[in-house]
Amino acid sequence: MKKKFSIGYFVIYLFLILWALTTLFPLIWSVMNSFKDKKMIYSNSFSLPVGEAFSLENYKNIFANYNIFSAYRNSLIISGTVAFAVIFLASMAAYIMCRYHFRLKKLLSLLLYAGMMFPIYSTIIPVLRMQAKWGIVNSPHVGLNLLSVILPQIAGNLSFAIIVLEGYIRTLPIDLEESAFLEGCSMFQTYFRIVFPLCKPSIVTVGIFSFLWSYNDLFTQMFFLRTKENWAITILLNNIASKEGVNYGALFSSVTLIVIPVLVVYLILNKYIIKGMTVGAVKG
Amino acid sequence: MTKKTALILAASAAAALTMTQAAYADGITINVTTTYAGEDSNAQNFKDSVAAWEAETGNKVEDSSATSDEAFKSRIITDFEAGSEPDVLFFFNGVDSNQFVEQGKVVSVDEIRAEYPDYASNMKDDLLGASPVDGVNYSIPVNGYWEGMFVNLEVLQAAGVEVPTNETTWDEFLEACQKIKDAGYTPIAASLQEVPHYWFEYAIYNFQTPETHNTVPESADDEYGQAWTAGLNDIKALYEAGYFPENTLTATDAETFQLFTSDKAAFLIDGSWKIGGIAEAVDDLENYTIVNVPGKNDRKSTDEIGGLSMGYFITRKAWDDPDKRDAAVSFVSFMTSDDVVSKFAGVSATALKEGAHPDESEFNSLQQAAVSFTASFTGLSPAVQDNLSPAAREPIFADMASIVNGDVDAADAVAAVLEAIED
Amino acid sequence: MEARIYKNKKLIWIFLAPAFLFMFIYLYYPFVQNILNSFQHIKYMGTAGGEWNAPWYSNYLKLLSDPKMMTALKNTGVMLVATILGQVGIALLLALLVSNIGAGSGFFRTVYFIPIVISATALGLLFNLVFLYDKGMVNQFLQFIGYLDMEKNQLIDWKSKHAMFTMLLPVIWQYVGFYFVILLTGISGIPSELYEAATIDGASRAQCVRYITLPLLRNSIGTCVILAVTGALKVFDLPWTMFVNGMSNTWLTGTYMYSKVYSDVDYASAIAVVIVVLGVVLSNIVNRLFKENADYNA
Repeated sequence: MKKKFSIGYFVIYLFLILWALTTLFPLIWSVMNSFKDKKMIYSNSFSLPVGEAFSLENYKNIFANYNIFSAYRNSLIISGTVAFAVIFLASMAAYIMCRYHFRLKKLLSLLLYAGMMFPIYSTIIPVLRMQAKWGIVNSPHVGLNLLSVILPQIAGNLSFAIIVLEGYIRTLPIDLEESAFLEGCSMFQTYFRIVFPLCKPSIVTVGIFSFLWSYNDLFTQMFFLRTKENWAITILLNNIASKEGVNYGALFSSVTLIVIPVLVVYLILNKYIIKGMTVGAVKG
Repeated sequence: MTKKTALILAASAAAALTMTQAAYADGITINVTTTYAGEDSNAQNFKDSVAAWEAETGNKVEDSSATSDEAFKSRIITDFEAGSEPDVLFFFNGVDSNQFVEQGKVVSVDEIRAEYPDYASNMKDDLLGASPVDGVNYSIPVNGYWEGMFVNLEVLQAAGVEVPTNETTWDEFLEACQKIKDAGYTPIAASLQEVPHYWFEYAIYNFQTPETHNTVPESADDEYGQAWTAGLNDIKALYEAGYFPENTLTATDAETFQLFTSDKAAFLIDGSWKIGGIAEAVDDLENYTIVNVPGKNDRKSTDEIGGLSMGYFITRKAWDDPDKRDAAVSFVSFMTSDDVVSKFAGVSATALKEGAHPDESEFNSLQQAAVSFTASFTGLSPAVQDNLSPAAREPIFADMASIVNGDVDAADAVAAVLEAIED
Repeated sequence: MEARIYKNKKLIWIFLAPAFLFMFIYLYYPFVQNILNSFQHIKYMGTAGGEWNAPWYSNYLKLLSDPKMMTALKNTGVMLVATILGQVGIALLLALLVSNIGAGSGFFRTVYFIPIVISATALGLLFNLVFLYDKGMVNQFLQFIGYLDMEKNQLIDWKSKHAMFTMLLPVIWQYVGFYFVILLTGISGIPSELYEAATIDGASRAQCVRYITLPLLRNSIGTCVILAVTGALKVFDLPWTMFVNGMSNTWLTGTYMYSKVYSDVDYASAIAVVIVVLGVVLSNIVNRLFKENADYNA
C-alpha cells in the first residue's frame, strides 16, 4: 500500500487520535491525581502534580498499610491459571465445535450462548454451597482458597472464549488440516501442530480477556477470598476504597497500582497480537 | 504464546495447587468473622485486641472480617447453610440473624453459662440483644450506637441562625432551614437517593414516643402505620421546600457529606460512627458540634435513636468441637471484657454493668460534644428499621425518590412494606 | 459442507468434555437451580429450596405487571440499539481505518484497548467525577464556554436531566476497544492475496472494503453483535456504580435483577431466567442474520 499525505489521511488520523485521547485520558488522569494530596484533587483534579503539588504521600500510605505484594502474587496465580486453562480448554472445544458435525452440536452451541448470559449473581450461591461441601472454601490453605476462585472463573470465561475461537477457526482455510490428514496425522496431532499455532492471534486475545476479567472480577473474589493473606488485588482495592472513603488520593494511587500490572501484561502480550496480525494466519 | 510464557503460567498454576500455609505451632486456631473492617472506626482496635488475645493465650485467630453490606450478609448466611460458618461471629442480633438462630446453629448464652458460669457476667442481661425469634440471648454486644444531628457552626453563623438546643422545636428548625436557604446555603446534607435511613427514623419518631417507636405497624391504617405515613410526608415537605441539596435524588452520600464538611451545608443526621469520619475530613473540628434532632408532637427533642444492634455469637460448630470450645469462649470473654469494650465504645452506649470507662482526656472536641449530647438523652429507642428484612426496607428506602417527588403515595409505600413482611 | 477429513468422530468427546464439564458444574447446574428457584417461594437467601409458588408461575405474572421491570426492558432495548450501532459501529469504523493506515497503527491498537483494562469500580469513580453536579468536569467546561451562567453557578444535574445519556456513554465507550480487537483480528485473517488481486483488477480502496473486507468479516461482526447483545442484557457493574437503585428511572434488566438478589431471591431468579431467554432468542436471530450466506468457507 502506498502512503501519501492527503486530506483523507488527515481526517482519518484526526479521528483516530481523538478516540485515542478519550481512551488514554482516564489513565493519565488517575496517575496524575495519585501524586496529589486529596485537597488538591478536590480543588482542581486537572492540574499537573508539579512542584509543591507533587506528593508521594498516597503511595507511602498504601504501601505502609496494605500488603500489596501478597495481593499481586495471589492475583497473578489466579488470573494466570485462569487464562492458561481457558486457552486450552476453549481452543480444544472450539476446534471440534467448528470442524465436526455431530449429534448434540446444536444443543451444545445453544448452551454456549446461554452460558454467556447467566448473570454471576444467579449462580454464585449454589456454587458457594457446592465448593463449601468440597472443603475448599474458608480453608486454612491459601492454595485451596485461590482454587475456589479459579474454578468458577474458568467456567465463567469458557463460553465467550469458545465462541470467539470458533469464529476465528472458521476463517482458517481447511487445506492445511486436509494435508495433515493425508500425511496420517491424528485429530490430536492436527490440533496441536496445525490448528493451535494458527489460532495464535485469537488465542492471545482470549487469554488477555480471560486474564483481565479474572483480575477485575470483584464479585467472585468477595465471596471466596476472606482473609487478608488470601486477598487478590481487586478485593484489596475494594477494601481500600471502603476504608479510605472520600480520600481520593488513596483511591487514585491504588487504582494506579492495580492498573499498571495488567497494562504491563497486556503490553508484553500485545507484541504477539501484532506479530500474529502482520504475519497473517495463512503464511504463519 | 511462547513456551516460556506457557511455562511461567504452568508454574504459577502448580504453585497455587501445592502452596500451603505452614502448620501453626501449638495453640488452637479459631475462625472469626466480624464487621470490624474497612472504614469502621474500631478496625484498628479490633486488630490490636486480637493480637493481645493471641499473645495471652498462644492461640491463633483466622480473621475474615469484612465491611458489612448486603453481599457480606448473604455470604454469612450461605456459609451457615453450607456448613462453612466461622467459629465466632460478630453480627447483627436483629432479623438478620433469624435464620441461623432458627436452625440452632448458634449457642445460647444460657447454655454457655451452664458450663462457664462467668460468661458475660459483666453485662446487663436485658441489654444483650435477645433474638427476635424466641427472645433468647445468643450474642454479647460490644459498642452501641446513637444517631444525632451534626451541625456546621460556620454555616449557621453566616446565615445568622442559632445552634439548635434541647428545647428547639420542629417548627423552629424549619424556620432555621428557611433562613439558611435564603442565605444561599444548603440546610440539610443528605442523599435521599442513597441514605434516607436516618431521616426516615427521626421523621416517624416525631409522631411516636421512645416507648412506641420500635414497633412495626400491622396495617397502614393503624396508629403506627399512620405515624410512618405522616413521617414520610414530612420528609416530602422538606424536599419540596428545597431544604435538601438540589441533587439529593442523584447525589451519593459521599457527595452530600462533602457539602457538610466544606461549609456548604448546615445539618447532617448520622450515627455515632461518623465522628471519626468528620474528624478525618476537616481541619477545623471546633467548627462542628452535635445536637439533638428537634422534635415535635409527643417526642421530646432529647428522645433519640440508639441501641446495641450487634454482638458476638459462638457457633454450634465451634461449641461441639472439644478443641475449640474453650478457645471460642475465651476469645469472646476477652473481646467483651470491661477494658476492651470501653476502648471500642468511646462515646457510644454499652451493656456493661459498671458502665464504660473510656479515656476522656484523649477525646477531640466533637467527642466531648458527644459526651454532653448523650448525657442529655431523656429517652432512647432502637432503630425500627432493624426489624425489617431487606425486601421490606425497599419500598421506603430504595424508593424514597418516588415518594418525595410524588410518584408514589406515602401510605402506599407503607402498605408495600407490610406486604413484603407478610410475604 | 462437512469436510471429509472430519468424519471420524470417536474421539471428539475427549476435546469437548473438559470445557463442557466445567460449564455443567459451574454454570448449567447452578442455573437449573436458579430456574427451579424462580418457581418457588424462598424465605432466606442461601437456602437450597422452598415451597412451590401457587400458581407456580406467579413470579412471572408479577414481572408482567411490574412497572420497574417494564422500565428495565425499555431501557435495555435502548441500550441494545445503542451498543450495536455505537459499540460495534464505532469499533468497525476504527478497525477499518486502522487496518488502512501505515504509521501509528500499532499505537492505536494498543491504546484503544486501555479502557477495558481498568476495572468498573475505577471507571465508575471516574465518570462520577466527570458528570459530578458541583465542579464536575462537564459542568465546569460548560460554565467556562458560557453555556451555563457562571455568576449564578448554574449547573446541570446530568444524572437526572439526561440520565440515559449519562449512563449509556461510559458503557459504550468502555467496550468499543473490545470489539475493535476482535474485528481487527478478523481483518488480519483475510488473506492479503485477495486485496492484491483486486487492486490489480483496478479496485479502489473503498471497493476493496465493500466487496472483500466487509463480506469476509461477516462472522466476526456477527460474533461482536452477539457479544454486544448479551452484554447489554446483563450489563451491571458500571451502571450500578453510577446509578444506584435505578436512580432517575435508569433500570436495566441487569441492575434490576441485582437489586433483588439479596431481598427477593425467587423474584431475582425469575428475572435472570428472562435475561437468559431473551439473550438466547436474540443471539439466535443475530446468528441467522449474519451466518446465513456463509458460503465462502465451504
